[in-house]
Amino acid sequence: MITRTLRLHWDSSDSLPRARTERLLLLLGGAFMVVNLWALALVRGEPLQTHLTAFVVWVGCALVGTFALQRWLPRRDPLLFPITMFLCGWGLVMIDRLAPIFAARQTLWLAVSVAGLLATALFPYGLRWLKNYRYLLLVGGLVLLVSTIIFGTNPSGQPGTPRLWLNVGAVFFQPSEALKIILVAFLASYLAEQYPALRAAGLNTASSRLWLSPRIYGPVLLMWGLCVVVLIWQRDLGTAILFFIVFIALLYIASGYTLILLGGAALVLLASVVAYNLFDVVQLRVDIWLNPWPEADGRAFQIVQSLLAFAAGGVFGQGVGQGAPGYIPVVHSDFMFAAVAEEFGQLGVLVVVVSLVMLIARGLRTAIRQQRRPFYALLAVGLSLLIATQSLLIMGGALKLLPLTGVTLPFLSYGGSSLLMSFIMIGLLLRLSAEE
Amino acid sequence: MDTDVILFLLRLIVGALLLGWLAALFAVMWRDYRSAIQEAQASRRTYGQLIVMREIDGALLRTGEVYPLLPLTNIGRAPTNSIIVEDTFASNEHALLALRNGQWWLEDRRSRNGTTLNAMPVTQPIVITDGDIIGIGQIRFQLKLEDQ
Repeated sequence: MITRTLRLHWDSSDSLPRARTERLLLLLGGAFMVVNLWALALVRGEPLQTHLTAFVVWVGCALVGTFALQRWLPRRDPLLFPITMFLCGWGLVMIDRLAPIFAARQTLWLAVSVAGLLATALFPYGLRWLKNYRYLLLVGGLVLLVSTIIFGTNPSGQPGTPRLWLNVGAVFFQPSEALKIILVAFLASYLAEQYPALRAAGLNTASSRLWLSPRIYGPVLLMWGLCVVVLIWQRDLGTAILFFIVFIALLYIASGYTLILLGGAALVLLASVVAYNLFDVVQLRVDIWLNPWPEADGRAFQIVQSLLAFAAGGVFGQGVGQGAPGYIPVVHSDFMFAAVAEEFGQLGVLVVVVSLVMLIARGLRTAIRQQRRPFYALLAVGLSLLIATQSLLIMGGALKLLPLTGVTLPFLSYGGSSLLMSFIMIGLLLRLSAEE
Repeated sequence: MDTDVILFLLRLIVGALLLGWLAALFAVMWRDYRSAIQEAQASRRTYGQLIVMREIDGALLRTGEVYPLLPLTNIGRAPTNSIIVEDTFASNEHALLALRNGQWWLEDRRSRNGTTLNAMPVTQPIVITDGDIIGIGQIRFQLKLEDQ
């Protein structure tokens, strides 16, 4: 009895403000969703009940999530979960608005993803397994990649489109999404083991021969090779560049050699030049990035429409369902950012950017707090950088600041496997933030 | 009410909610940084200072030297002390300042020329407070405690 009261007392002094923060933010997210769904129903002249399922599922996920986390992971970071739920709730509204036929499927994926997040966050051995069975993981990831090359399909079924999906019945899954986490975990585990050697070499210039040892250039070349495979066989430009940037950053953080950043940039440049000359896809993307206007009605239609959507949005946006982002082809996956810009304006864009930045900042903060355990720190950095790089690539792409790469905007875009894997990443970050 | 009016109101609410979301995130971050600052300050918090003074023509004048007060501050000529005094009248291990049970104690470590507290010789451990003047050789230390 006494221990029970003591524990309750301890809990209330330590973790209740955290829970209150989380619930307040979730409440704001729920209110935001309800107002938008109401407005959407009004615009379409439908009764509100048609959109109720998505909202009920969202509320259920949020409640189960926050109570389960509070019960079993009271020392977690209070911002990660509500920001994730806010963004994906917003994403549900936008998918319902842009591509209503996909809304039910995305709602289902949300429930699966939250289950995945909770499983990752609450399962006590997850991190240990990621660390200890890294070669098994790597082999599994490579098998997935190879199987995509052999058995890959595209849900749209058109020939000539990148075949990045595996098909089990009616469920399509994109293995490169899972490969992201697997490879980050592998690299974090590998580098954590090499950490003492890497750091010792950084202190002593006389032993710079270590620089030439395979323990450093080995993983770089391996990852570079993987990226090239992804690029050549799958024409998946976005994933290739994403992998490579995150790996270079991780290697730099683990070793502290500035040369790695320079060398990585040089390799990226080299690969881009080669890819530009070899692949039509890359050439097209770069050409319409440099100057889309001559072909505004042709090959550059998508990016020009995206820019027009940003212009049409103004500061406060057109309001949900009241803009015309439907002019952008495949707006619900590649150009979700442009749709948000048109309907929620600069304010909406700002909120998306700030929310993503907060997520990443919390991830990096977790890494700093776990400094003494290299694997945890490197894993947190790797996962945060995955989200950061992916967001930057697609947001820059939609704004024509970068060549367009077909990655999804995390949490907002349509895409089941992307959503599931992003949620699992957040689950891992939650676990890392709660580890003492 | 007209649908357009409701839609406009809903847009206003959406804008307010977005701003509210930003404000909430900002507030959380603000609180977080505040507590981080407090944590950082707690880890390197100081207890007070010892201000070095010298008696010149009957008046105590600051020499400008200031030492931080540690929970265990030993004073003397030997390089092992936390405060090393260059004074021929000071012993190698001269005096000890210690925080015990929330009070500061001054102790003479059997120095040859003795330690004074407010010009009175210290014969046994004695409690000292803010503003007290400790004399070692020709040097005077004024104790300045930080507000708890």
